[in-house]
Amino acid sequence: EFRFGSCRVEGVVLPELWEAFQAMKHTVQAQDNVTSVRLLKQEVLQNVSDTESCYLIHALLKFYLNTVFKNYHKKIVEFKILKSFSTLANNFLAIMSKLQPSQENETFSISESAHRRFLLFRGAFKQLDIEAALTKAFGEVDILLTWMEKFYQL
Amino acid sequence: VPCVSGGLPKPMNITFVSINMKNVLQWAPPEGLQGVEVTYTVQYFIYGQKKWLSKSKCKNINRTYCDLSAETSDYEHQYYAKVKAVWGTNCSKWVETGRFYPFLETQIGPPEVSLTTGEKSISIVLTAPEKWKRNPEDSSVSMQQIYSNLKYNVSMYNTKSKRMWSQCITNHTLVLSWLEPNTLYCISVESFVPGPPRLTRPSQKQCVSTLEDQTSGLKVK
Amino acid sequence: DTAAFLPAPQNLSVHSTNMKHLLTWSPVILPGETVYYFVEYQGEYESLYMSHIWIPSSWCSPTEGPECDVTDDITATVPYNLRVSATLGSQSSAWSTLKHPFNRNSTILTPPRMEVTKDGFHLVIEVEDLGPQFEFLVAYWRREPGAKEHIKEVRSGGSPVLLETMQPGVTYCVRAQTRVKAIRRYSAFSQVECVEVQGESLPL
Repeated sequence: EFRFGSCRVEGVVLPELWEAFQAMKHTVQAQDNVTSVRLLKQEVLQNVSDTESCYLIHALLKFYLNTVFKNYHKKIVEFKILKSFSTLANNFLAIMSKLQPSQENETFSISESAHRRFLLFRGAFKQLDIEAALTKAFGEVDILLTWMEKFYQL
Repeated sequence: VPCVSGGLPKPMNITFVSINMKNVLQWAPPEGLQGVEVTYTVQYFIYGQKKWLSKSKCKNINRTYCDLSAETSDYEHQYYAKVKAVWGTNCSKWVETGRFYPFLETQIGPPEVSLTTGEKSISIVLTAPEKWKRNPEDSSVSMQQIYSNLKYNVSMYNTKSKRMWSQCITNHTLVLSWLEPNTLYCISVESFVPGPPRLTRPSQKQCVSTLEDQTSGLKVK
Repeated sequence: DTAAFLPAPQNLSVHSTNMKHLLTWSPVILPGETVYYFVEYQGEYESLYMSHIWIPSSWCSPTEGPECDVTDDITATVPYNLRVSATLGSQSSAWSTLKHPFNRNSTILTPPRMEVTKDGFHLVIEVEDLGPQFEFLVAYWRREPGAKEHIKEVRSGGSPVLLETMQPGVTYCVRAQTRVKAIRRYSAFSQVECVEVQGESLPL
């Protein structure tokens, strides 16, 4: 199960996500020509506290589901990686639907800190041309999964 | 003097071969240049940074590999590398690797396995595989420090009963007791890290015999 | 083109046991003709974000029999829509969609088959290999009053695993259950199997 601080997510098997992404990795990353930009930089993901992690993963997954996956779908069909994409998207949805970041006042500063990290990511995303940004964000799912792995208990 | 790019065919099959974070770039010579004294030049790139970097020890080299372990030692970064062939004033275009992610792609080597036999027991002591280090005198870093969930799969083969069984452990010692005396057992151990599919390699099979039976009271049916 | 006379398959249903999911339907019978079927699926993501998108099934695009193994298509624990269309030559029927979306957490889990043996004084278990999704909880104990039950997690089936070093003259009993993390469920325990290693008293 995932333990993002107090947020618990069961019923998602991380190796299934890895297998799905590995099947798309080279195809998608080969399309990313803007190698001088990394969206999920270390400032976004490094030293994230447990309590902060639930807010951050919620924001990131929501962005991936609503923006990246949704708008990158034409390329997915073009590259014939629909199955692996479907596995990834449906598992991200399964995680998202189980995340309930606390909305209490005392965690406001923590959620703000997570939000600043997310804005760093989204800011870098918005600086790129949309096609390049979508390709790059999709190609960096291995960075996201590696970070999520730190909160995964066997 | 800059060479004429594209005058030569490109090197082939460029790839990183990584074991315990020792990251070596390898490639095959360009086709059709057998017998020609070709040299190679390598560059590498840290994903998210600005420019390609050179490695002086891999400029105009004859061999078809280049150890980039030092340059790619931050395993949380991702990298690219590229190589071109040079012959006189002619050179090939660059050929580039895909994005290389050491943390995910390094192969985790087997532990060191030392065995001590007793009359009816075999003690197994494992030493975690070591991460590549820049200098032999540098202090060792165990791969366990990088992968905290590193485990070992111990496989044991009883040559008399022709039975094999395994056991998954996380610590570094295992005592197999109540074995049959005067029996040859073969043992091999594989490290593995749960999570993304990673290449692993079992240790060399080691066969040891339990000692003679010092007592006669025990018969196994 | 959608043939007026080619009826859509009916009575779609999914039978799922041990995370193997079989979609079945009533065959479309046309005397003297071979009817083929196309199966497609969409997960919750597709149905929420891009409902026009349907994905061809891995093994049944097309298939001849009135059934389709959709195990490799159902790869998340979310509701999936499934649909089938019959085809004859260039004509194909309307799509027939499963009435209720299928979620793999409804699969039936059966106790695992296992083989309990001994190699000298070693109690060894081999559980059937049900695939990468499956882990096993193995319980074992000494058959004597007040004996404590030990639990061991076996990560995969299909290879012998050492459970315990046995004392001579004692009977050891074992039972096991399957566990699927992806759906957070367990099977019932298997039958109990016991083994004993004879051996006269040990020298002091």
